[in-house]
Amino acid sequence: MKSMRLFRKREEGVASRGAQGPATGQTRRSWLDRTGLAALALSITGIGSAFVRSLFPNVLYEPAQRFKAGLPEQFSEGATFLEDQRVYVFREQKTFYCISAVCTHLGCTVKMVNLNQPKTVTIGGRQVQERREFHCPCHGSRYYSDGTNYSGPAPTPLAWHKLEIAPDDGSLIVDLSTKVGRDFRLTV
Amino acid sequence: MDTTKTRSTGKEVWRRLTWTWSPAGSREAGDSVVRNFILHWFPAKVSLPSLSYGYSFWLGTVSAVLFLILSLTGMILMFLYVPSVERAYQSVKDIEFVVSFGWFLRGLHRIAAHLMVAVVFLHMVRVFLTAAYRNGAGANQARPLNWIIGVTLLLATFLLSFTGYLLPWDQLAFWAITVGTNIASAAPLVGEKIRFLLLGGNTIDQNALLRFYVLHCFFLPVLVLFLFCWHMWRVRKDGGLACVDHLALSQKKEPAAPVKAKTYSLLGLARGRTVHVETALVDEDRYTVDSSPNLTRRLLVATLATMLVCSLLTIAVPTPLEEAANPKVTPNPAKAPWYFLWLQELVTITTVQLGDFTINGALIGGILVPGILVALACAWPFLDRSSPAAVGVWLARERRRQNLVFLIIVAAVVILTIVGTFMRGPYWKFFWPWQAWPDVPVHF
Repeated sequence: MKSMRLFRKREEGVASRGAQGPATGQTRRSWLDRTGLAALALSITGIGSAFVRSLFPNVLYEPAQRFKAGLPEQFSEGATFLEDQRVYVFREQKTFYCISAVCTHLGCTVKMVNLNQPKTVTIGGRQVQERREFHCPCHGSRYYSDGTNYSGPAPTPLAWHKLEIAPDDGSLIVDLSTKVGRDFRLTV
Repeated sequence: MDTTKTRSTGKEVWRRLTWTWSPAGSREAGDSVVRNFILHWFPAKVSLPSLSYGYSFWLGTVSAVLFLILSLTGMILMFLYVPSVERAYQSVKDIEFVVSFGWFLRGLHRIAAHLMVAVVFLHMVRVFLTAAYRNGAGANQARPLNWIIGVTLLLATFLLSFTGYLLPWDQLAFWAITVGTNIASAAPLVGEKIRFLLLGGNTIDQNALLRFYVLHCFFLPVLVLFLFCWHMWRVRKDGGLACVDHLALSQKKEPAAPVKAKTYSLLGLARGRTVHVETALVDEDRYTVDSSPNLTRRLLVATLATMLVCSLLTIAVPTPLEEAANPKVTPNPAKAPWYFLWLQELVTITTVQLGDFTINGALIGGILVPGILVALACAWPFLDRSSPAAVGVWLARERRRQNLVFLIIVAAVVILTIVGTFMRGPYWKFFWPWQAWPDVPVHF
């Protein structure tokens, strides 16, 4: 650093004039220089980190991650898309499960596509007959009906979210903050 | 009233206003560079090759003029735009349809932004192909540093574009920011934190809009302005354009004319000779001319041409505004602007499966590949072992191999951009440009 060299020049000048400089070139002035610079660096770091920290919000005014989606009987058989929360809730008579519509590649909303003809696929060693799939419009990722990714850039399956029944009014609660396995079923 | 006196007063006023760029002689031209605030950027004398349109295409100047246009239009747009989730889209619509000449302001801002990305990129290509990032004949040159400043300016230009197209808060904005911030979150360890910091939360909402607005209108322009000043200062310190080094080197082969003892000092304040004079070991009278008016005239021509092209394009090309941002509906296909489509292609094709382990294309195509390209660009001047004779020469023979590698990378980026722009349809499927896209439902 040029400024440091500037300081050093002066202190060498002082030392050569016979001030209290020991043989190492250490003087009171150079010690004060260094301490001052260290204090400046420390205070800039401290204030700087306070500024950065202030940009991480402590309170978020965002929609709740756990919400009531309505009474179970209001859901029709098959898939219901909750577009505000970007999840699909599936009803198979008395059982319910919930699959996220957020593509695991880059977060676009996947669309459910009903197949013209059912096709037989192997998922996890099991033969399954598929009637619908999820396709992502952004980069073309494809998922089977249980969210298993099989084509395109998506690295992982679609998330499954936990469902509960509200103890007060019997509504279906979707918990976006809790992920569950693909064998999860809520029976009502 | 004495008309002769009025006329001579008028002439005097005109002369006082213009004398620095229409000097009466060399002495006044040199004097003007020292005494004029704007002209003091320039050297008193400038070599003929650096004035050539064919060598540099004046792309750096054009970028600077575009930045000026963007700053001016941007400042006016700031008076008209409201950075609020509820009102942003409506205020942009007002600018487009209600404000007098609002459509022109917004169109000019958009066209200049698109051109700036293209021109800064082409400027980089020019500098590479002429090896202008290398030190040549002059003393105390640090051209590799200036190249790195230039690469940073290119990145800043991309960031300015990215933060800018979020602001209308339309569908393009919303989904571009969804994809963009998810790419950031794919970075190992700190990715999620960066996304949280960028958005000011977990969802794309008011905090995100305000952050991108402040970045777009304050932080990034100030960064670009600072880097631009540094860039220009270094060009002066490095002895002007690289073609001057080539001229100086080729001069030495000529029968030695005595080097003039005359030196230019910087306002008499700086000791020693300026770097420009150090490098210009050329016969000044044969190869150099006064900067004022020769350089200033071309500068004004480049400025006028840039403004003309921007204005005509603004009138000819309509400025699109998609539907208002709707988090419930992802457009199909959801495309970024053309200059990011090569990245969108990359993140699509680079997901890698290693046994049970999958690496997201967002990490490889969105972070690693661009990161490697930037690192490679910054390191290249230090890896280039060509001789000083290749500096400032278009497509020098001895740099043929590295020019080829560079052009292959450029071609790959261009091809991916073309594929992304013209050959991707719904669900990002491949379609030839003449193929019709199938109808797909927009909603679930």
